[in-house]
Amino acid sequence: MNSNKTLDCIGLFCPMPIVKTKQELAKMKSGEVLEILADDPGFEKDLPAWCNMTGEKFLGLEKEGKILKGYVMKK
Amino acid sequence: MKDKMTIILFSGELDKAIAAFTLATTAAASGMEVTIFFTFWGLNILKKTRFTITKSQNILQKIFNFMSTATLPITKLNMFGMGPWMMRKLMKKSNMASLEDLMKLARELNVKYIACTTSCGVLGLSKENLAGEVDEFAGASTYLAEAKDSKINLFI
Repeated sequence: MNSNKTLDCIGLFCPMPIVKTKQELAKMKSGEVLEILADDPGFEKDLPAWCNMTGEKFLGLEKEGKILKGYVMKK
Repeated sequence: MKDKMTIILFSGELDKAIAAFTLATTAAASGMEVTIFFTFWGLNILKKTRFTITKSQNILQKIFNFMSTATLPITKLNMFGMGPWMMRKLMKKSNMASLEDLMKLARELNVKYIACTTSCGVLGLSKENLAGEVDEFAGASTYLAEAKDSKINLFI
């Protein structure tokens, strides 16, 4: 998936990937896509749940081995 | 209006504090307005120095603050301080955020701190003994007013 920016959260545990996603999105413009790399298995469920709460657009999640790649479009 | 979350942080253990701040920072990062009300042992988390013994305290308060310090124990396997040391080491090794990291984040995300004046009074703690991050010193009514329109309310 195409993205404007990539955020590396590999090695970090909850709540860091979500908090960092929030902070990174705050610096971006509406409509831009952020790619988040994470290896905390909880992130798979947490990212869509967080998007649901905040209204940011969840575009999907890809798995590459243990690495999760999440995509969010800034509202 | 923003959704609200309130937490009563009653316990003064490292593991419970980490749980509270994990939820607080996540909620704040999800656009919620978060308030933490620190009371009783929870005030230990905010103490500036390990021993907060002051001239104005009476003997019982001095003993309390000598035995219950800012060096937080853990709820299980404390083993006279070995447990917390091991836990901090383990968490660092696995790259998990420390309590200090989480508390710093909480401030960045505008989590509001209220310290209970009654507990402060009983334990002989004043504003100067607690970290400068405390936004308000107040009592049960202030907490209830915040909690009344909050969707999530936890007692930790």
